[in-house]
Amino acid sequence: MPKITIDGQTIEVAEGTTILKAAGQAGIEIPHLCYHPAFPPEGSCRLCLVEIEGSPKLELSCSTVVREGMVIKTQSEKVIEARRSVLEFLLAEHPMDCPICDKAGDCKLQDYYEAYGLFESKFKEIKEKKDKLVHIGRNLLLDRERCIQCTRCVRFLLEVTKTGELGVFERGIHSIIGFYENEPVNNNYSGNLAEICPVGAITDLDFRFKTRTWFLTSRPSICPLCSRGCAINIEFHKGLARIELGKRVFRIRSRENQSVNKYWICDYGRYSYSYLDEGRIAQPFQVINERRTNLSWERMLFILSEKIKSLRIRKRTSRIVIVLNSALTNEELFLVKRLFIEELGINRIFFSDPPDEKGDGFLLTAERVPNRRGALNLGFNLNVGEEVLKQDKIDLLLIFAAHLAEIMPLGWLSTLANQIESKFLFTSRESGLSRHVDFVGPVTPVAEKAGSFTNVDGLNQSFDPALNPWGQSWPEWKIMINLAKEIPINLRYFGRLNSPETIRKVMAEEKLNFSVNP
Amino acid sequence: MIKLLGYFYEILKGSWITCRHFVVNMWFHTLWFLGIKTKRRGAVTIQYPEEKKEIAHRHRSLHRLMTREDGQPRCVACMLCMTVCPSECIYIEAAEDPDPEIQKYPKTFLIDLSRCCFCGFCVEACPEDALRMDTGKIELATLNREDLIYDLNRLIG
Repeated sequence: MPKITIDGQTIEVAEGTTILKAAGQAGIEIPHLCYHPAFPPEGSCRLCLVEIEGSPKLELSCSTVVREGMVIKTQSEKVIEARRSVLEFLLAEHPMDCPICDKAGDCKLQDYYEAYGLFESKFKEIKEKKDKLVHIGRNLLLDRERCIQCTRCVRFLLEVTKTGELGVFERGIHSIIGFYENEPVNNNYSGNLAEICPVGAITDLDFRFKTRTWFLTSRPSICPLCSRGCAINIEFHKGLARIELGKRVFRIRSRENQSVNKYWICDYGRYSYSYLDEGRIAQPFQVINERRTNLSWERMLFILSEKIKSLRIRKRTSRIVIVLNSALTNEELFLVKRLFIEELGINRIFFSDPPDEKGDGFLLTAERVPNRRGALNLGFNLNVGEEVLKQDKIDLLLIFAAHLAEIMPLGWLSTLANQIESKFLFTSRESGLSRHVDFVGPVTPVAEKAGSFTNVDGLNQSFDPALNPWGQSWPEWKIMINLAKEIPINLRYFGRLNSPETIRKVMAEEKLNFSVNP
Repeated sequence: MIKLLGYFYEILKGSWITCRHFVVNMWFHTLWFLGIKTKRRGAVTIQYPEEKKEIAHRHRSLHRLMTREDGQPRCVACMLCMTVCPSECIYIEAAEDPDPEIQKYPKTFLIDLSRCCFCGFCVEACPEDALRMDTGKIELATLNREDLIYDLNRLIG
């Protein structure tokens, strides 16, 4: 283990570590543009130069490996001067169109200019004209003037997706990023290119001119669209004082999680976020003869608990059917187990998950629900089908549909609707289903609640709400706990549960496998 | 009783100030009238609104949007004015311009003058010199609030 000194700080790092990584471990940030931790160093931007004692010239910290006793200076006058000069060359051909660039605000070139540049340009020549609007893929737009040839995009396509659509063409000042005719970037991970581009050369058409990055707040969450459970950041606008924006979430970006998705997310997870804002139900309501009457949650849970109580007294809880889905968190599935199965003795429970689609072999899995593994771990039988509907008469039907209502195979509901006495639907969005039920309660999708999922590899991941609940939406665990208190059932047990953390604690006490990775 | 006397005392004090101003100003006006040039001059009331005082050239008045040669707004919808505005009175919606050299133009540009505090930060922030507050229009009162929301057409016009 070599011992090195960086800016007077002596640290010990593993053999073969580069100076840039070692500095990162010591908490010193060395500016860099072309280096990305996921790829081997390229060394084309020349911004990460550092001074090494005994070395005649400055060295690239991204590709120089540490040696025993190395003394490195990252803030010396020589280094700062070199950074300034490198920035000056990078900006010599960079169009100053930050006002219209979607990257402005999280552009690294902009940040480094603020930190180390701040010079007046000495170049009086007119800048080179290049193509400003090149469609290089489904959702990608390339601006060749802004490009600094860091080749992060090229390396991403070579090393991560292994498709290699992009390459560097021409030489010197004329070098451009391009693709062969009729073969643009067309893979399920293209959205990552806009994210790893350190400048605004590759931008996202989906986000183009929608808002500016500094208006957005970023909160961590977990992608609920397949069973991989990729770490994501949800970026949303807090809203304006007087004008309705119409949507909150403007984009989804990947978050680093080495044990699941590294640095990437797929395009399916990146661009399917409209369900968070469109067609949301704000208040519980009752449907009588296709007319809607708004209710409060208290009133609705009172009605539901009265129905359950009357069935319970008449020993007819076998006439209750509960439809679940694998987008419920472990905590909620645990509550289903304790409340509905053990306390109320309901055994007609089945899972109605959206049908599997093709995975892509990298991150996107075939299961389009986030928590099938969790349901299996908790002992649910996912193979029970719609045959439970026919076993006996149904007096009460509870459907937990989350945001999946449109894609859940619930065709049987329209034919059975008239035979079922009362039907409760818990969903977050308007869908055709609300025509067939009597009561609809809005629930929060994954982005608005806390809990934990078990992903396809059996990894438990907890998450916190990234957005505020829409209107009066409630998470499912809150509905179940309040229902238990309303009936009331075993208050000593359910009374102390008031958040996913407390539920998780109880699960751990009951030895239900719950060590959760944050 | 003392309180009551204090009340009348203040009234008398106020009257005294008014009278003093009248006499002093009248004195200087008379001297000026008689052709005696004094250093100090008597106060003059401007007969607003018939008579208007000239506005200083740095005065911040109603906003206007500058235009390019072809009449399109110079604004590129960078939203810096919207960001810097302390009273959140500016709202901009950007759209794609067919010209790749321009790319971005404001589809909607609203300034809500009922919220504006005329601080001029938006003018300072503008990187394109598209927004100025030099129209000299200061009489902005209207009979309803909607008229105080200025859109693109009114701001260019």
